Amino acid sequence: MGLKRLLLRYYPPGIMLEYVQDGEPKTKSIDLLNLRPDTDAIALVEEIQRGEPLITASYKEHVIHLVRRLQEKLGEKEDHMFHLFKILRAHILPLTNVAFNKSGSCFITGSYDRTCKVWDTESGEELRTLEGHRNVVYAIAFNNPYGDKIATGSFDKTCKLWSTETGECYYTFRGHSAEVVCVSFNLQSTLVATGSMDTTAKLWDIEKGEEVVTLSGHSAEIITLSFNTTGDKIITGSFDHTVAVWDVGTGRMLHNLVGHQGEISNAQFNWDCSLIVTGSMDKTCMLWNAMTGTHIATLTGHSEEILDVCFDYAGQRIATCSVDGSARVYDAETQKCIAKLEGHSSEISKICFNPKGNRILTASSDKTARLWDAATGQCLQVLGGHTDEIFSCAFNYSGNIIITGSKDNTCRIWH
Amino acid sequence: MGLLSILRKLKSTPDQEVRILLLGLDNAGKTTLLKQLASEDISHITPTQGFNIKSVQSQGFKLNVWDIGGQRKIRPYWRNYFENTDILIYVIDSADRKRFEETGQELAELLDEEKLSGVPVLIFANKQDLLTAAPASEIAEGLNLHTIRDRVWQIQSCSALSGEGVQDGMNWVCKNVSAKKK
Repeated sequence: MGLKRLLLRYYPPGIMLEYVQDGEPKTKSIDLLNLRPDTDAIALVEEIQRGEPLITASYKEHVIHLVRRLQEKLGEKEDHMFHLFKILRAHILPLTNVAFNKSGSCFITGSYDRTCKVWDTESGEELRTLEGHRNVVYAIAFNNPYGDKIATGSFDKTCKLWSTETGECYYTFRGHSAEVVCVSFNLQSTLVATGSMDTTAKLWDIEKGEEVVTLSGHSAEIITLSFNTTGDKIITGSFDHTVAVWDVGTGRMLHNLVGHQGEISNAQFNWDCSLIVTGSMDKTCMLWNAMTGTHIATLTGHSEEILDVCFDYAGQRIATCSVDGSARVYDAETQKCIAKLEGHSSEISKICFNPKGNRILTASSDKTARLWDAATGQCLQVLGGHTDEIFSCAFNYSGNIIITGSKDNTCRIWH
Repeated sequence: MGLLSILRKLKSTPDQEVRILLLGLDNAGKTTLLKQLASEDISHITPTQGFNIKSVQSQGFKLNVWDIGGQRKIRPYWRNYFENTDILIYVIDSADRKRFEETGQELAELLDEEKLSGVPVLIFANKQDLLTAAPASEIAEGLNLHTIRDRVWQIQSCSALSGEGVQDGMNWVCKNVSAKKK
């Protein structure tokens, strides 16, 4: 067993190891989720060495160097102000969702005009139009980190798999009996999962183009799904007020997270797959143990329905947004509310962290997106200009580009 | 509203909720009608590039009204919104006689849609506040409405601007919804 190469992973902080075992090339990662600019790098690396035999004495200096580079990145002063770079008259009908590939070199937009478009981030030029769906393209996803494939979920009840490079449609996945409203690739890029208003989710093999398994058990529409990073589990959130945890290999339901008193709006794993966060129309957010399915805490504070919830990349903070026009940040470990983001004049429908985790982006029906300091809750910028409500927003991986997708049929790029 | 709210309004509606689709040519007055129903300001209305959704309470029902843009290039996308429709409201600019043929054709095509088969249709002969407006009877005849046999239908003259006739039309809607939902 020999180590071949060490690679940096900025977000969440970690070191990737490429090594050979029994003649086979393999990779694994050392997650440094708690790394801070002032962490003692030498002590940390010595600790890593005790748990990881691949890091032999001869690699020690190199690993210390890598850790210090991660610390530099974390400590970099962040005073980037965003300016409108381009307005893309993207579609002839409202946009639905938007998503970046891993490097941020291109992004995709879905629309009521039944297409998904691929855009070059640098120039704002349209690279390709993915045509073929017979109804609204609602859910879209890249198979990040690779980014060579795109999945689209449509109100036409199908999901399509496309080549990013050529725009060719590899497969049309048929089998759902109602709208497909969520799609996701596993991180290993072997499966695509689809969730539908028909109350089921399905897993599809992207090589063979075949259905692998149907996840049935919910009694109402599935509106969100998410793989864990290791790819052995997937969660589905439903209008039946519950979230189900499924074993990807067998399609068996492992846990049903019961407790919310309203429809689920979103559900996510944290990076190390130990926690699940769920947001609900019952105005609360809940935290669950992902292994046992037991309830850990209920995060309260919002006075109206919660429309979106997410972890930061390292899984240390949770952000929620609500019909009450505010957003909140909670510490995942203490479950205390650490910041209230107030300023939007109407409901906030989307929220996300930048990959570094120190900024939050919100999209609202007040036609603006806002940028916030994740630690203090201070509003840093109002991104205005859309002429109708904003349905979706995203950061690129470096955190220096934002895209917003609106009901006004345009997409805006902010640098 | 947000995408999630759209999904909530998309699902097959429970007993007391009604999904109403508001269609018609561009400039027929659909958005004005929608805002009149919701008692909102109607002084600054621009052509609808996509859709508007409003929920209004009427006679014990929650009416979820979907107002869909009517410009020619986006008419092919009307089909996006057909699913689970309880009532179709078709709006006509009664003063735009030059386009009676065009609007009649669009209506005929809608009535042929499988997903809208049997769905009750209310036709609003709008803009009766204009002196040049054709009366509802003339429009009914021009559009051969009497040949509609596969569903209940009604034509109602109205002015979305003044609100006159709008409530009469909505009363018909509620009456026919309760007949259907029972």
